[in-house]
Amino acid sequence: MNINFKSIMPKPLESIQHSSESIWGREVLLEQGKKIMLNASSGKGKSTFTNTIFGLRKDYTGQLLYDNRDTKTFSPEEWITIRKEKISVVFQDLQLFNNLSVKENLQLKNNLCSVYSDSEMKSFLEMLEIDNKWEQKCGLLSMGQQQRVAIVRSLCQPFEWLVLDEPFSHLDKENSQRSLKLINERCKQLNAGFVLTTLGDDYDFSYDHELIL
Amino acid sequence: MLSKLLFKNQDKKQLIIAMIGSFMGITFLITSIHYLIKVNEFGEGADILGPNTIIVQKKVTTSSSLNLAKTDFSLQEIELLKKEKFIIDVKPVISNNFDVSFATADPLVPKFSSDVFIQTVDPDFMDVNTTEWNWSIKDTIVPMILPRDFLVMLNTFMSAQGIPQISDELAKDIKFKFRISNETSEKEYIYCKIIGFTNEVASILVPESFMKYGNDKYGNLTDQKITQLMISGTESEFGLVEEMLKERHLESKNSQMVVGRLKSMVGTLILVVLGISIIAVFVSGLVLIQYAQLLMSRNSYEVRTLLRMGYSPKKIINKFFFYFIKIFGWISLIGFGMFFVFKYFLDSMFEEGGLYIGTDMTLFSIYALLFAYLIFGIASFMNAKKGIYKEF
Repeated sequence: MNINFKSIMPKPLESIQHSSESIWGREVLLEQGKKIMLNASSGKGKSTFTNTIFGLRKDYTGQLLYDNRDTKTFSPEEWITIRKEKISVVFQDLQLFNNLSVKENLQLKNNLCSVYSDSEMKSFLEMLEIDNKWEQKCGLLSMGQQQRVAIVRSLCQPFEWLVLDEPFSHLDKENSQRSLKLINERCKQLNAGFVLTTLGDDYDFSYDHELIL
Repeated sequence: MLSKLLFKNQDKKQLIIAMIGSFMGITFLITSIHYLIKVNEFGEGADILGPNTIIVQKKVTTSSSLNLAKTDFSLQEIELLKKEKFIIDVKPVISNNFDVSFATADPLVPKFSSDVFIQTVDPDFMDVNTTEWNWSIKDTIVPMILPRDFLVMLNTFMSAQGIPQISDELAKDIKFKFRISNETSEKEYIYCKIIGFTNEVASILVPESFMKYGNDKYGNLTDQKITQLMISGTESEFGLVEEMLKERHLESKNSQMVVGRLKSMVGTLILVVLGISIIAVFVSGLVLIQYAQLLMSRNSYEVRTLLRMGYSPKKIINKFFFYFIKIFGWISLIGFGMFFVFKYFLDSMFEEGGLYIGTDMTLFSIYALLFAYLIFGIASFMNAKKGIYKEF
């Protein structure tokens, strides 16, 4: 699925001066399978980008097209299918259920499409060195551990795009690179692309494009 | 897991209060509807006259005895009575305008003969089998309804003759005959048969066609006066009928009025209970709906996140909908069970007091329960739909 930004300008960002390279107000095509880094300082609209692409915000001018279809015409049911099968997201605030265990948080997502077995999900946690937290409630984990759970959860569904909103903000370099490696492997497997928003750090990864806000 | 996420953390105090309110409302709703129907059915079928029906006549006073006041009804007076809101129908009671005597015509029964007074009333006012209550000139037997007092008198006569007394059923098998005649000595004998008894009418009742035949053939030519009327009043408003009778100086047999008055009073009381029950069910239903809104609002983060994860709004709506439908279902079932406990005690109390009201179940109370359940189901679904789509 190709994503086309056609002169999109979110209303809260209209008053800000954007550079000529910014995706806001320009035509930008996100081609399927590409690895994209979205680099911007605070307040430039990284979360707005994530929320817009995921259909949570519609307060913008211009058009957002998925395979040449205007997303403003999508019904709630179509958005549900997109969120279940086409686009996966790691939100900046993670959106985990603190009262549920790591296992339950992952199962809740995985149950929608039955992508992985419990042991496979556990092996992802093992790769990120938090497999010992399997039965622990998410609310009791550190922010860094929660970020890793949210990353694993985002992989437990089929997708064509993975949007990660500052996913490594509480991770050290080693854990960030491990996570990025896991993300890249899963994207390759699905022939999917990802957009990683960051405050400037590229985590020593070679991206296909770099976008600026 | 979804249930654990959406329903685990809730303050159940408000839910329990709403459940108790609904349970009490449902129990009283079914009970009051059941007994409202049973009280209205009370007395039906015990007499040949239909329910809430009375025969009225003008009060006989000294002036009417001296022919200074009329005791008959004009057509205008009948029309005025019909216009009263609480009166369903008014029809004149037609009497014989010829001579009638009634005699036994069975070899097994001693001879008995007496001049009698016969009357006919509109069949709409009677609980009688219409195929039985029919007579044409070709028929050899006239069906009749006998005043029960007449049978008592007949039994007194039998007893004096040293013959065993007869029951209602046996009396229906005995042959009788009418002798109808006029002043010019023309006469005719026609066999007749008892098909029922009445406590409310003092004369022998015959079909309208027989009365017309007798009046046409043997009646004197003077215009027949209407001195009695049949009135049927609306359910639960018999007090108004009684009031109207007083105002218009009319009178009726006391027992008819007492039953009507009692039924109206008890019916009104039960209606009040029914009204309170409906309000209780409505209010507790509202509290349950409000609790559902509170629950959705408390779980707005969970609902919103589930929708972002790709959970269908319909699936989440159904979770809330079925949760509350199950709660109301259990309340209804327990309320229905409690109704049977109440019914057992109330029926025993009525029986001990000599009031034999029907003990079978009334369908309307079940319909009322199903209706309340349906309304709650619809309200619950609409509420869940609105709450979930708000988070989308």
